[in-house]
Amino acid sequence: MRIGLACPYTWDVPGGVQVHVRDLAESLLAAGHEVSVITPADDSDALPGYAVDAGRALPVPYNGSVSRVLMGPVSAARVRRWVRENAFDVLHVHEPTAPSIGLLACMLADGPIVATFHTANPRSKILTAAQGALQPSLEKLRARIAVSEAARRTIVEHLGTSAVLIPNGVSVAAFTGARPLPGYEPPRHTVCFLGRIDEPRKGLDVLLAALPELARRVPDVRLLVAGPGDVAAVRARLDPALRGRVDLIGLVANEDKARVFASGDVYCAPNTGQESFGIVLLEAMASGTPVLASDLDAFRRVLGDGHAGRLFGVGEPAQLAAGLAELLLDDAARAALAERGRAVVADYDWPVITEAIVGLYRMVSEDAGPVSLASSGADP
Amino acid sequence: MTFSGRAGRIDHAFITLPGMTLVVVVVAVVVAVATYLTWLARRLDRLGVRVDAARAGLVTQLVARADAAAALAADRGLAPLAAVAGQSAAGHPPLRAGAPLDTGVEETENQLSRALRAPAVASSGQGAPELLHAVDSAAARVALARQLHNDAVRDLRALRGRRLVRMLRLGGRRPLPAYFEIDDALPARAETPGPAAPAHPADGAGPGSGRPGTGDAAADLDDRPGTLPETAC
Repeated sequence: MRIGLACPYTWDVPGGVQVHVRDLAESLLAAGHEVSVITPADDSDALPGYAVDAGRALPVPYNGSVSRVLMGPVSAARVRRWVRENAFDVLHVHEPTAPSIGLLACMLADGPIVATFHTANPRSKILTAAQGALQPSLEKLRARIAVSEAARRTIVEHLGTSAVLIPNGVSVAAFTGARPLPGYEPPRHTVCFLGRIDEPRKGLDVLLAALPELARRVPDVRLLVAGPGDVAAVRARLDPALRGRVDLIGLVANEDKARVFASGDVYCAPNTGQESFGIVLLEAMASGTPVLASDLDAFRRVLGDGHAGRLFGVGEPAQLAAGLAELLLDDAARAALAERGRAVVADYDWPVITEAIVGLYRMVSEDAGPVSLASSGADP
Repeated sequence: MTFSGRAGRIDHAFITLPGMTLVVVVVAVVVAVATYLTWLARRLDRLGVRVDAARAGLVTQLVARADAAAALAADRGLAPLAAVAGQSAAGHPPLRAGAPLDTGVEETENQLSRALRAPAVASSGQGAPELLHAVDSAAARVALARQLHNDAVRDLRALRGRRLVRMLRLGGRRPLPAYFEIDDALPARAETPGPAAPAHPADGAGPGSGRPGTGDAAADLDDRPGTLPETAC
């Protein structure tokens, strides 16, 4: 099939949606489809061969973080040309509620259009207010995909329609068999953490608060903390007696994430909120690293109520310390969790997810003509 | 406002200026209204195309499900399933020709849904796992196609229900499309088939009695996750 993917956020800025679009594009290509991605980019030379530059995006604060959006006449012209020249069998737009390429493509095109909604935002006043303005574009969608139960609920509540749940995918192969980072070869007792270190919702503070008690129970325990943020500031806050146990390695390249997981005996996700899916948990499971995560709704779902990974009370350092100590000192329990984690993550492997998405593509494109430009792209 | 000396000329200007303005305003309003109505009509048109496509997709999947059920029934000698599948298939040619997806069709397809959940199907289907799998994925695709169909119908009904659209009859003479409501809960396939398979709560619901087929947007919103199982492709 000829498939067009519209990505709303700047390609070269790290983000979940961009990674999703990239992985989906590559997985579709691997399955033998023709794929073109249109996306904002800072450096169009760095784009892969299958991607087209839609222009530069402007940073706009949205939903607690900075989103970079794009909706100008230049990008509209580029999207229009991209749609016209490619005559896709299916146009798959991402995050069509964000004021960017996804929505633009939706406004300008006509035909078999599918959209994926990534955001879960239970109380979005913006979304509710914008529903009327978005409806003319959203009613073109032949199918809507939500990547998580929370995202699906957001669609039902704010947009008054339903969605098919197809979760985020994980490239299981990319996470299998990675070598530990230097200095982390077994035997060891290491807990790893991955996420922004100065973002309270990622919960590094909960993990650090659990460290004193954990160190009492597991004397040689070490913490491997990877993720962007102010390393010096976090180090300064650490108790000097514990500083030697904590390695803050900063931002790691995407391809090194697997090595971070391989360096830990347990992956800890102490997030305190705002997680709608928990893809990082799946990546840890794909690496074969047992997971201990806070008991958030999204994590509970991914971990099958604690079957494929353990849970602890959100923001409870004492529970976390106990849980970590128990796991670090029990090789058999860790092996069993790793085993169950691998079985769960197989359902999220990109080839499996891609097959489900292509099934949906076929359903909406059967007997339908190719995607074309809408007879009148602009709304009055 | 006293323009004593040149009253005549001023009067003249007073007549033409507002006159001009009025003409401009009227023209602008007419253009804006016409543009808006054209745009509304185009939206209705597009939604009509979407509903038609979704309907065709749904019919395709209903046909495929009946075919898969018939194949399984023939292979395993399941007479009751064969009968129901045949009944369903008999109704498909008119549907393909554009007959409405009415309560009669819902009734027939409901019977097939229920027949597919019969314990006998699960147990004897073990002898032909590929055929059973084909039936299950066809059933999953029916559920998905029905969801896409009803989403399209909901969007069209919402726009057709707008006062302006109703007053100006922008929807034309086409009847409002109806939701297609069947019990398409997927057959439970336990590892060990037989009476251990959980009875389905929706079994008792008669055709169309569970959910109002003519219900409005909110009432029709399905609160179950529309999960696409891996078998659906």
